[in-house]
Amino acid sequence: MANSTQTQRAALSSDLIALRETLLGLLPQLEAQPSWYASIFFERKRSKTFSANLKQTNIADQASAGVVFRIYDGYTLFERATDDLSAQNLNRTVAEFVQRVKNSPHPEGATLRAYPAPSWKDRLSSGELDPEIKNQIPADVTARTPVHFGIRFMEDPRKLDAGIALEKLKALLDRCQKLAPESGLKESDLTYVAARQTTADEESIFIDRGSVLSQTLLRQALTVITMSESDRTHLRVGGLGGLEAIEVEENELRTLLKDLAALKSAHKLTPGKYRVLFGPVLSGVLAHEAFGHSQEADTCARGRSKAWELYASGEKVGNEHATILNNPAIFETGGKPFAAWGSYFFDEEGWLAQSQVLLDHGRLKAPMTNLTSALRLGVARTANGKRESWANGVYTRQTNTYFSPGKKTLAGLMSELGDGFLALHPAGGMEDPKGMGIQVGISYLQEVKGGALTGRVFKGPAGGDIQLTGYTPDVLNSIVDKSKIEFDSPEPDKALHPWNDAGGCGKYHKEFVFAGCGGPYMLLDQVILG
Amino acid sequence: MKKKGATAWIITEEHVHRRERYFMLDRDALVVDQDRDVHSYNIHLKLFVDIGRPGRQGEISKKLFTALPLDEQLDAAIVAAKQTDHQAWSLPLQFPKEVPDIKTSDPRIAEDMENVMAQLTQATGKAVARPRESRFNSAELFLSVHDSELHLSNGLRHRSSQSRIYSEAAYSYSRKKPNGAVESDEYLNTRWAVNLDDLAIDRLFDETADRARHSLDTHKPVTGHYPVIVDADVLATLFNNHLSQLSSANSYHGLPFVKPGDELVKNATGDLLTITLDPSLEYGADTGAFSESGVSQSPFRLVEKNRVIATATDKRYADYLKLPVTATRGNVVVEAGSLSHEELTRQAPKVLEILQFSGLFADPNTGTFSSEIRLAKLYENQDGKNVKTTYVKGGSLSGSFTDNLRAAKLSRNRVKRSHFSANNSRGEGYYGPEHILLSDVSIVG
Repeated sequence: MANSTQTQRAALSSDLIALRETLLGLLPQLEAQPSWYASIFFERKRSKTFSANLKQTNIADQASAGVVFRIYDGYTLFERATDDLSAQNLNRTVAEFVQRVKNSPHPEGATLRAYPAPSWKDRLSSGELDPEIKNQIPADVTARTPVHFGIRFMEDPRKLDAGIALEKLKALLDRCQKLAPESGLKESDLTYVAARQTTADEESIFIDRGSVLSQTLLRQALTVITMSESDRTHLRVGGLGGLEAIEVEENELRTLLKDLAALKSAHKLTPGKYRVLFGPVLSGVLAHEAFGHSQEADTCARGRSKAWELYASGEKVGNEHATILNNPAIFETGGKPFAAWGSYFFDEEGWLAQSQVLLDHGRLKAPMTNLTSALRLGVARTANGKRESWANGVYTRQTNTYFSPGKKTLAGLMSELGDGFLALHPAGGMEDPKGMGIQVGISYLQEVKGGALTGRVFKGPAGGDIQLTGYTPDVLNSIVDKSKIEFDSPEPDKALHPWNDAGGCGKYHKEFVFAGCGGPYMLLDQVILG
Repeated sequence: MKKKGATAWIITEEHVHRRERYFMLDRDALVVDQDRDVHSYNIHLKLFVDIGRPGRQGEISKKLFTALPLDEQLDAAIVAAKQTDHQAWSLPLQFPKEVPDIKTSDPRIAEDMENVMAQLTQATGKAVARPRESRFNSAELFLSVHDSELHLSNGLRHRSSQSRIYSEAAYSYSRKKPNGAVESDEYLNTRWAVNLDDLAIDRLFDETADRARHSLDTHKPVTGHYPVIVDADVLATLFNNHLSQLSSANSYHGLPFVKPGDELVKNATGDLLTITLDPSLEYGADTGAFSESGVSQSPFRLVEKNRVIATATDKRYADYLKLPVTATRGNVVVEAGSLSHEELTRQAPKVLEILQFSGLFADPNTGTFSSEIRLAKLYENQDGKNVKTTYVKGGSLSGSFTDNLRAAKLSRNRVKRSHFSANNSRGEGYYGPEHILLSDVSIVG
C-alpha cells in the first residue's frame, strides 16, 4: 500500500464503471437519425466541508449526480438531464427525449451545420497534448476503449478523518488569536475568525460515437477569514490533488493579521490615475475580464463581443506585454506539485484540454469555444464547454486564465514601481465584451514610496472596495512590465505555468463555475482607480 | 425516522423541473441554440446529535440518496455529527395547525410548463421581429418549478411549491464613424420573476433595445460627488445585503450588528426608511410559510422611520441569546417616498441616474458598494427644470449605505423584484420604491 507521500492517481469509482456500461448501451438509441450527433455526459460531485469559528464547528456532506443526454440535430443542441439513474428511468428518459427532438421542427432560414465527431486519430493529431493527458491514453485506443484520466495526488483527502480535520481548523483559529498581538491587534480587536476546508471528488463520464472518456478530479480548498468589526481579510489556498494543495504557512497568517491591523486605520483613496503593481491574482482577474470573457465564442456567436470583430480586423488592443492564455491543462501550478484550480483533462463536452493563446502581444487570436459556438463561428473547438452542474446548460467558459510571464523579479518591479500602490487582494471583476469596458475590484491597496511599502493602507473613496475601470485596450496598453513565474529568484523559471488562485466565475450574472486566476506580478501605469 | 444517537432532524425534499431555451440569430432567423429539459430530486438532511457535553450538541448537513442504503447513510451522518460542536438548541415545540394561503407558484407554469414555454417562445419571436434601430443579439428563457416538502422530527410536515422565471435579452447598436470604422456597443437586461405577470417580456425587450440604441451616445462622467438615482434592482441587493446586520446570527458571531433602538442610517435627514420582512408577499422570491427550522413566518417590521425596532431571530439564536423567536425570512418591503421619478431627477443642478452597473459589489459588513457604470443618464437642471439630458458610460461609483442614504429621497412608485442564485435555495425578494436618490456619491471618470 502506498504511503501518504507517494504520488498516486485517482481511479474511477467502481460503481461508475458499471454505470458507464449502461450509458454506453443507450448511445445507439440517441442517434436515432443519421444526421444527429448524440453524446452523454455524466457528472458526480461529492464534497465535505469542515468549518470552525470561535463559537462552533460544522460539517456539510454534499453530493450531486446526474446524467445529461444530448442530441445535436445540426441546428439546435437538445439536452435532457436527470438524476434518477435507475435503468428503467434512463431507458424511458431516452425514449421520451428522442421523441421530443423528432417532434421539434427545424428553424426556417437557418443554416444546417452537421457535426462529425472526432476519432481518436483526429484528437491525437490536433495539437500537442500535455504529457499528463497523453500518458493516460492507451496506445491502441479505439472509439470504444474506456479512457480514464485520474488526477495525481500525494496525501489522500478521501481518508481524511472528520475529527482531525476539525481539530486542525481549530488550531488555525487558535494560532490566529495567538499571533494577533504581535501583528498589532488587541485581543478584543479580533472579533471574528473562521476557517473552512472543502475536499471534493468530482467524477465525470463522456460518451459519443468516437470516444468513451472518464476523469476523476480531487479538489481541495482552505479559507481563513479574520475580521475586526467590519474590516475583513482572508486567505485562500487550493488546487486539484491531495491535501498537499492546502498547506498554510505561519507567515501567511501573520500577513493576514498585519493587513487586518492596517485596515483599522486605512485611508480613503482619492479617485484618480495611479501607478500600481498588481499581484498574481489581480493580474489574473484582469486577464479574465479583459480578453477572457470577450474571447468566449458563444458570446461572439451571439453578436455580443467586440473581440470577434477585432480578431477579424487584426487591430492591436494592447502592447507587447499583453499576452493572455487560457489553459485547462495546468497540472503543476506555479511549480507546485498539484494542479491549478481551473484544470481538467477534458471539458464537459468531451474535448481534451490544451493551452490556448487568446491575445498575442496585443493581437487577438481565435476565441475559446464549446461545441455549438465552434460550429456557428467556424473556428476550432477548444476544451471550454463547461456548466455549473449537470443540471445547468453548457456555455463557453474559462479555465485558468493568465498573462504570460515576464522577466523581472518582484524586487525589480517594486523598484520600477517607485511611488504608487501594491494591489494583492481581489474583490471581483466584470467584463463588458461589446463595449470593451473593464472593472477589476481590489479589496485594499498598500502604499509604496521609493519602491518600499510604507505600511499605509488605502480603501475605496467610500471606505469599501476600490475599482479599476477603463477601456480595455487602454488598460492593456498601460502595462509597463511583468514578473517571472518564480518572481523571488533571478534565475530562469523552472516552472512551466504560473500559479493560479482558487476562484470562481459567473457568466451573464449567473452560471457559477470554478476558474483559476493567476499569472505574474504586473506593473501598470496611469490606470483609473476609484 | 428513529435512529439511536440522533436527537432531532430536519429533512427537505425537493423535486425540480426546469425548461430552458437559448435564442440567437442565424442569418436573421431566430433560432434556439440550446433547448433543455431537466428533472432533479434532492433530499437534504440536517441532523442533530448528543455529544455528551452539557449545553452542546453536534450537527451535520448531508445529502441523502434514495439509491443507497439509508441506514448506512444515517449511521455515517451520526458518526460525523458527533465530531462537531455547537451550542445546543431545540426545534420549535409548537407550530400552527392552519397554514396561511400564500401565493408562491404560478399555476400556469406548475400545470403546463411546456405550454408556457411555447407561449413565451412565441412572445420572444414577436419581440425580436419588432422593427428597431438596434439589433437583437440573443435571449435566454428559463422556467422551473420547485416542489418541496419539509419534515421535522417535531412533527411538522409542510409542502410548498415555487415557480421561477428568468429572462434576458441583449441588443446592440453599431454605426460608422467619420473615418469609416464601425463602433458598436450593447445592452443586456435580465429579469427574474415568480409569476408570469411580473415578467413583462415586451417591456424587457423594448427597454433593452432602447438602451442599446443610446449606448454609443455616451460620455464619461466627470470625477466628483453627485446625487445619484439607482433603481429597485440595486436597492434589492443593498437592502438584502445590509439587513444581515439586523440579525441575531450576526450578533451571536460577533459580526457587524445594529441593535434595536439604533438608527439604521445615522443622522438621517432624508426620507426615513421603514422596512418589513414579508414572507407572505404574493409571488415574492422569498415567500414561504416556515423557516428552515420550522418556525412559522409572518410579516415582521424591522425598521420604523429609520429606527431599528427588532432583531430577526430564528429558533437557534433565540435559544442561544434568550431572545423571542421572530420571522427570519421574507421579501424586503420598503415604504414608499413621496416623489415621482421625474421629480427625483430634478432635485439638484446635476443628477446622475444609473441605468445599469457593470457588476455591483456590495459588502454586507461595511455597507459599502461599488461598480463600473455600464450606462447612466446625467440630468442637468436649472431652476428645477431639466435643460439637458445626456448618456454616461464608464468610470466607477463608490458608495456607502450609511453615508449616501443619509439624505436619500424615495420614489412614490413601488415595484417588486426577485432574484435567485445557485448558492442559495431561497430567493431574494423586494417590494419597494422603484428609485432612490442617494446623496454625495463618489464618481470617478
